Formats: sequence, structure tokens, C-alpha cells
Amino acid sequence: MMQADVWLELNPWFEQLMFILIAGLVIFLAYAALEHKRIVYAVFFFGFMAAFVAGFFLLLEAPFIAGMQIAVYTGGISALIIFGVLLIPRAQDSTLESFASPRYKRLGALISFVVVMLSGHLAVFFPWSETFASDLPPLEFNIELVSQWIWSDHGIYVQMTALILLTSIVGAIAILKMDKAETMGPIIGEFGVESVEEPIDDEASVEEPPTEEPLDDEASVEEPSTEGPSTEEPEEEVGNE
Amino acid sequence: MIPLSWYLFVAFILIGLGAYGMMVKRNLIRILIGAEIMGNGVNLALVAISIYSPVFTFVGQGLIILVISVAAAHTALAMVLMLMYNRRYDTVDLGTPISLEDDENV
Repeated sequence: MMQADVWLELNPWFEQLMFILIAGLVIFLAYAALEHKRIVYAVFFFGFMAAFVAGFFLLLEAPFIAGMQIAVYTGGISALIIFGVLLIPRAQDSTLESFASPRYKRLGALISFVVVMLSGHLAVFFPWSETFASDLPPLEFNIELVSQWIWSDHGIYVQMTALILLTSIVGAIAILKMDKAETMGPIIGEFGVESVEEPIDDEASVEEPPTEEPLDDEASVEEPSTEGPSTEEPEEEVGNE
Repeated sequence: MIPLSWYLFVAFILIGLGAYGMMVKRNLIRILIGAEIMGNGVNLALVAISIYSPVFTFVGQGLIILVISVAAAHTALAMVLMLMYNRRYDTVDLGTPISLEDDENV
């Protein structure tokens, strides 16, 4: 740790060199993640890009955020997207993917270029040095202060984030289960009410005779209807007992 | 010593690349990757400004921790919606024409 600090103090250009190297890698990997034909490789490039963005946080002397960036983006989100790609076999076939027309590509590139140039103009020419400190404040070993800021002073934000995470998890499970319940057939098990193939239902016994009426004669229908109540009542009592 | 404008320029390039991906791409997975690249750019800009500012140092870092947590949640929800779209229309490509006549839920 001390040797690294001495190295940075002795070589101020070393930090800028590292920044330029990481910036080039990040921009190249972000472009590759968007343009690579194989979608699985694109997701891998995104994971590497997120890992190199953590290098910026290390240069900014925010090591906890760098670790969290690697843990969440590289380890969590890219793994989640890879599993999603593996669950969708059609997404892995690059021949099924449709691309926008060159006109739309040029329009999108122009709009994003305008956004980048306007923002870059703001970043380069806005007098940040007058509003902020021109030098990095001494922020070494700031994990304790960050954790104290979060957990002691502003714990309500952590609880709000936990509520958002819980809501999203419940929502995701509910969406998937809701779609599954729409396509699901009746559950027939070995035990319980579901095990009876034709459960005793009053509505079914009332509705069934009218469907049989046009097939039989009127006399044959009337005879069971007169005898029906005397025979059906004991059955229902047995069934209920 | 790295100026703040360098970090902001890289962050805005990332935001522009993500916006390009979200506008041009037709695949839902690539659109999600574009959104994540934009999120990375926003995180980088927020952390850089919070570090260089003498006032909002720990506000920015604490906020970034919460933002990264919520980013994981919205990615999970986006993946669920993508799986739903694939299950219903049998594609994740927005350029592929889908027939709403076969859909019983419409």
C-alpha cells in the first residue's frame, strides 16, 4: 500500500496513463458489447466492461464502491443476463436477429453523438474547478465513514432500498407464476378432493339432465325425474357422511 | 492528478453508447445491455462529482451504493419481462412481426 502511494507520488503521469488505458478498454468493451454478433460474447464483454469501470472507482479512491461494482455488475447482473440468454434458445441464434436499417442507425448515431458532444462540452468547458475542490480531498480509509453515513445517519435509505428489492422480487415471482397459472391445467393428486375424478357437485347433477333431454323421449326422462329424488337423496347423504 | 472533466467525458461517452444501443438495437437483451452501460456511465459521473466535491462526498458514495442495489433489482425485473415476452410471442427480437390474433390474452 505504501509502495503504491510512493509510486503514485513519484510518478504523477502514472495515474493519468492508467486512466487513459482503462478509458480505452472501457469504451472498446462497451462498443463490443453492443455490436458483437454472438449475444453470449456480448454479455461477457459487458461483464468485463463493468469490471474495468471499477478501476475508475479505484482511481477515485473509493474502493468499497469498486468492490460493490464488481460484485453486483460483473458477478450478478452479467451472470443474470447470461442465464436469461441460456433460457432463451432463440436468442443465441444470431441469424434470427433483425437489425435496424442503415438510416435508423445513422439517425441513432447522430442523436447519441449530439448528446455526447453537448455533455462533453459541458464537462470540458464548465468551470468545475471554481465550484469544486481542484485537488482530491484526503479520502483514504473512508469505508468507515461511508458505512457510518449509511447505517447510522441515513438508515432509512437502506430500508427503502430493501423494500424496493423485496417488491421487485415479489413482483418478478408473481409475474412468472401468473403466466404459469394461466396455462396450467387442473391439479389431480392421489389424495384429497382433487383425487376424485368426478367430484360430487350439485350444479353438475342439475345441469346434466337438460343435456340428455333431446336424446331421450319425454316419458323416459320423466320417469327418472320422479324416481330420481328418492334415489339421489340417499347417495348425497352417504357422500356427505 | 486527473481532472474531473476526464471522468465526466468518459461517463458521457458511456451514456452516449448506451443511448445508441437502446435506440438502434432490436434485440431485447442488447437493449438491456445498453441500459446497463448507461447506468454505468451515470454511476461514474456521480461518483466522480461526489469525490471531487468537498461537500457532497459521502452523500454521493452512499447514494451510489443504493443505486447499484436498485440497478440489480430492475435488471432482474427486466429479465422476467423479457422471459414473459419470449414465452408469449416466442421471440425476443422487436423486429420480428408478431401476430396478436393468436394471442388469447389480447
